[in-house]
Amino acid sequence: MSGIVCAIRGGPASQPTIEKAITVAAENEIPLFFLYVINLQFLTRTSISRTNALVEELHEMGEFILSAAQAQAQARGVSAEGVIRDGQVLDEIIQLCQEVEADYVVLGQPKNQKDQNVFTHERLSAFGQRIEQESGAKVVLAEGKSE
Amino acid sequence: MKATTRRSFILALLVGIGLAFLLPIRRSQAQTSADAPWITGAIFDSQNQPVEGAKISLIEGEQTLAEGLSQADGRYSLPVPNQIPATLTLHIERAHFGGVSIEVPAEEMQNLRIGEAIVIADTILERHISPAFWIATSIFILVLALIATGFLHNTLAALVGVVVLYLVSYLGHPFYKELYIFDFARSLLYIDWNVIFLIMGMMIVIAVVEHSGIFQWLAFFAYRTSGGRMWLLLPILMLITGIASAFLDNVTTMLLMTPITVQIAISTGINPLALLIPEVMASNVIGVSTLVGTPTNILIGSYGDISFNDFLQNLTPGVLMAFVGLVVYCALIYRKDLAVARSASDDLMKKLAERGQITDPENLKKAGWVGAGMLLMFIFGEQIHLLPAVTALIGATALMVWIRPNIEKMIEAVDWTTLVFFISLFIVVGAIQEVGLISIIAGLIGRLVGSSLMLAMLSVTWIGAILSMVIANIPFTAAMLPVVGFLTATVPGAESKALFFCLSVGSAMGGNGSLIGASANMVTAGIAEGAGYPISYTYFLKKGLPALLITVGLANIWLLIRFL
Repeated sequence: MSGIVCAIRGGPASQPTIEKAITVAAENEIPLFFLYVINLQFLTRTSISRTNALVEELHEMGEFILSAAQAQAQARGVSAEGVIRDGQVLDEIIQLCQEVEADYVVLGQPKNQKDQNVFTHERLSAFGQRIEQESGAKVVLAEGKSE
Repeated sequence: MKATTRRSFILALLVGIGLAFLLPIRRSQAQTSADAPWITGAIFDSQNQPVEGAKISLIEGEQTLAEGLSQADGRYSLPVPNQIPATLTLHIERAHFGGVSIEVPAEEMQNLRIGEAIVIADTILERHISPAFWIATSIFILVLALIATGFLHNTLAALVGVVVLYLVSYLGHPFYKELYIFDFARSLLYIDWNVIFLIMGMMIVIAVVEHSGIFQWLAFFAYRTSGGRMWLLLPILMLITGIASAFLDNVTTMLLMTPITVQIAISTGINPLALLIPEVMASNVIGVSTLVGTPTNILIGSYGDISFNDFLQNLTPGVLMAFVGLVVYCALIYRKDLAVARSASDDLMKKLAERGQITDPENLKKAGWVGAGMLLMFIFGEQIHLLPAVTALIGATALMVWIRPNIEKMIEAVDWTTLVFFISLFIVVGAIQEVGLISIIAGLIGRLVGSSLMLAMLSVTWIGAILSMVIANIPFTAAMLPVVGFLTATVPGAESKALFFCLSVGSAMGGNGSLIGASANMVTAGIAEGAGYPISYTYFLKKGLPALLITVGLANIWLLIRFL
């Protein structure tokens, strides 16, 4: 198997990443996997531990966000699959890359430090190296969008 | 062991236990008789609050004749020996207070000799600021800081505080007496079990409701009713969220409303924050109107003995005023975001409609009946002194018996982390009460407001609102309750419990002022970020601070009209 893995969160900040992933998939004619990761880290700031209902809701929301991205890909003639995982974003990207033997991983690159992005430039660079080492996939960076 | 040996051993053990119980009684009987005269009195602190747990010793020279402890109302009674000595001295001591010795006056000694009970004039104990005071205060501040910075999970932060308190008391005390804060038994007295059981009962009911799809259905219903007109959708969503928050906790409400709201917003092409921020603010505002609407109200209701009806009657008009102000404010600040809305595509509409389904109508119906019964019990239960915690437990148990869920899953649905957080928090706040910090703060605020109820109401509301922006409102409210209790007892006119309602408004609506002001804000922000729409601290502050001023201001005006 081969493919492209693209982790998304939805929202305007993810648009350039989605576009780039679709372009790479169209050019290489390989399957595209949009990944949505549910991360409940934000709950550490509260006293809540009852997460069942929340995870269900986030799954629903993730499916909605993935279906919008899939529709976008389909409009450009690219077939895309949506994958939802629970856990740490970085670990789940690597995990999926290994599972689908991905050739490429498309990551969003913040245009400036003010951009709301999972990665800073430094973390992105370190993470890119880690992906290439652990999965063999090539990292493609999508330029972030200024807001 | 042989049977005869074993029998002898058991007999000896029983005799030993019996003697252990009998000996003190025999000793006591040797000194006093049933009709012995008594010395009674009461102990108060410098703010005229009763002092519980003070040790009173009746002394003749070097010999202690009787000992006792003061009760919750500060009163004590000691039996006097049959042989009345020439002089008697009462020695009163309690941790965190200076000791006092009182010589029984000669004329009272005469009364004792003729077998009459005597009443000692009220004793005032002065607070003693010991190293334990500073340690307990530092631990409280540390817990607040750990929660505010997110360095530790809230529950873990509070637990760390509790453990350090015990370590200091138990390990430090033997070496240096002044390190004693309180012992385990004393610390447990500060836990308000009414609060714990009420929250637990409500959690079980919520666990059934949250899987029914009712919130998703309501949100989609709001969208359909508005016909896609955002100026109408915004207040409907705010109202639905607010009403739900008045009966369920705000966090659960936002946890269930946020994902479906994000989907509606994305479908109509608007920024989800234009709906989410007004929703969470409405949740924080309308939740104030009932006893069970916010954790802070549960704390306030239990401490101040304020019923479900009292909250409804005294707060609902003010909450409605605040809500109207909030709707107007939100419509104004988000008018540009809402103006770009478009009709949802057929595909997205279909997906929304699929999401907006009741998934478990049978259990929802049962939960509805039980919920209605609970509401009636909350409203009318006070006639028979039915505590809200008991109502919540009855409702939760009735619901479980009726729907027969997997009991393990239902017990799992109880958020034990939150309950442990509350228990730990009660102990940490109990420590600063024990060492006198709360008393000092109460005294300062008391001096500031003097005998003016209006000044007291304004102070409690606005101090509550502003501090709830920067520190978690649950620990803040728990710490403020004894302060408000003191002001209620000392400020003329405050016996109407007006100040408790001011605290309710300040601490809950104050949560709108900053992202960390309320757990519901944090949950909303976390889910919104997961959808690619992060809410920064600055963004929330810009939108939330004016909302705080408007809503707290309007609710405060109502409270002043109501109670002055």
